[in-house]
Amino acid sequence: MMPLMPHVNGYDTPECKTLAETAKKSIRTPTSLGLDRCIQCGACTASCPAARFTDYNPRQLVKKVQENDRSVLESEMIWACFYCYSCNLRCPRNNSPVTIVQVLRQMAINEGIGLERLEYFMEIGEVLAENGASKVPGPGVRNMEKDLGEHWIGFKRNLESIRAELGLGPKDVRNTNGEVRAILEGTGYFEREKWIKGKLQEKRLHEFLNVRCEKNEDKSGEFGFETDREYPGQEAFIV
Amino acid sequence: MKLIENIPDRKLLLFKSCMVSHEYPGVESATRYVFDRLGIDYLVNDEQSCCTGIGHYTDLFEGLTTAAIAARNFAVARRCGYPNITCLCSTCYAVNKEACELLNTNDEVRDKVNSVFREQGLDDLVYEKGDMNPRTNFYHAVEILLSKADRIREEKQLDFAGTRAAAHHACHYYKVKYLDVVGNPENPQLIDTIAAACGAFPVRWYEDRTLTCGMGFSQLHLNKNTSLQVTKTKLDSLQRAGVELMLHMCPNCHIQYDRYQPVIEREFGVEYDMVHMNIAQFVALSMGADPYKVCGFQTHSVPLEGFLEKAGII
Ligand code: SF4
Ligand code: SF4
Repeated sequence: MMPLMPHVNGYDTPECKTLAETAKKSIRTPTSLGLDRCIQCGACTASCPAARFTDYNPRQLVKKVQENDRSVLESEMIWACFYCYSCNLRCPRNNSPVTIVQVLRQMAINEGIGLERLEYFMEIGEVLAENGASKVPGPGVRNMEKDLGEHWIGFKRNLESIRAELGLGPKDVRNTNGEVRAILEGTGYFEREKWIKGKLQEKRLHEFLNVRCEKNEDKSGEFGFETDREYPGQEAFIV
Repeated sequence: MKLIENIPDRKLLLFKSCMVSHEYPGVESATRYVFDRLGIDYLVNDEQSCCTGIGHYTDLFEGLTTAAIAARNFAVARRCGYPNITCLCSTCYAVNKEACELLNTNDEVRDKVNSVFREQGLDDLVYEKGDMNPRTNFYHAVEILLSKADRIREEKQLDFAGTRAAAHHACHYYKVKYLDVVGNPENPQLIDTIAAACGAFPVRWYEDRTLTCGMGFSQLHLNKNTSLQVTKTKLDSLQRAGVELMLHMCPNCHIQYDRYQPVIEREFGVEYDMVHMNIAQFVALSMGADPYKVCGFQTHSVPLEGFLEKAGII
């Protein structure tokens, strides 16, 4: 079934018969992508930080794509890549596992996989539209505060005066005349955001109802939407 | 390979970086200080937006949006007459360079981007094939510094003789468009050469020199433990090599090493002796710049005071 909401990433994930064809046609991968030339030498895996510290294996991933094994889309493996491009540099056959992984992630997203990860960074879209500049998103800021403590929080509070002292503008807000917002609207980025949020809400409601159903098996009248108020919603972003 | 003699020093658009602005604004002010001292013709233009890199590599933005935002920035650069985009961040560099290549070679995407511009009433942003050249309009600030290494040697007021400095060249500078790197992408020496011009002793090779910083875009946030393990591996190697100063060229790597070194020390029960700064901050220091009013070291996490005292700066 065709999805109701356009995914906007049609150029990242052109519809083709096989994973390999999609990967080759995608604008995420180089036009010269040597996917068919891969000799399974493993230079990518040997260079790969994710392979060194996790079970991830780019050589294997490339093989699965060649075999059109669509189960890779559901594999946690594709989310382990650092996008460091070491494999891209080292591959003797001009293949590029890193850009293939980017295509696989976009395909997974289209199937509703990994959306929680995107949610973590979602604030970036609106911030870019508004300020013309990106920033660490709210949940990231909270994690960094926990890790980096008082010194970091303190300097963040004084950032404006420090920037002024350095002869820079007080805030990193660009003068984009609303053009960036217009572009994000024009490409359909905000549609994509809406689609992701909607999907997540659907998913959470589902999970929530399932949990309630299990808990309240012997009771009656507890399944309705009145329990929605217990739905915690999305975490608030700190701007 | 990019030839050093072809690196321009005129009409450079110094491309603002969000992570520099928010975390290490001293990198921008130090770069400007050095560019001014070297008489480089550059401009900072507030109309320029972010490259979308953070969103693009966390899989949030798709390729079309990234290409359209890049095309807008190319229009900004051309309009002000400073078409040589010169980045402070390695991801800005890679994103812009790749987007330019895409816009020049993929007619369908270029037409789509232009139709978005027209629909939104932004006709002056329309990108024509070849408006920018992916090989000659895109630079990293470190390449400009390298091309002026001799001048830096002449201009230096402080000598960091004996300082054991090691470079972390940023992945998105030399592993994405690896055919377009100054020198050998298997062993980039840009930062080392500049550091040597400032009088430092470059530790030109250490184990895992080409290992990524570990930030990995979403990885630091969503897989923190693995992310920090990667960072720790490199810090361990630098410690073994007796490195005092680690020099950076990308705010993302800089965050990973400077901000998270104390976290790694705490969480893994280790101790490190090195401090961190951007190569432009180091060059500025060697030219006599103020460590706080120009280099902005007050925003760093690993304190630099010990290092500055030893060098006789404070
Ligand atoms: S390095 Fe290239 S050729 Fe070798 S296994 Fe990896 S993708 Fe295939
Ligand atoms: S880009 Fe991904 S697959 Fe390639 S070496 Fe880095 S972590 Fe491994």
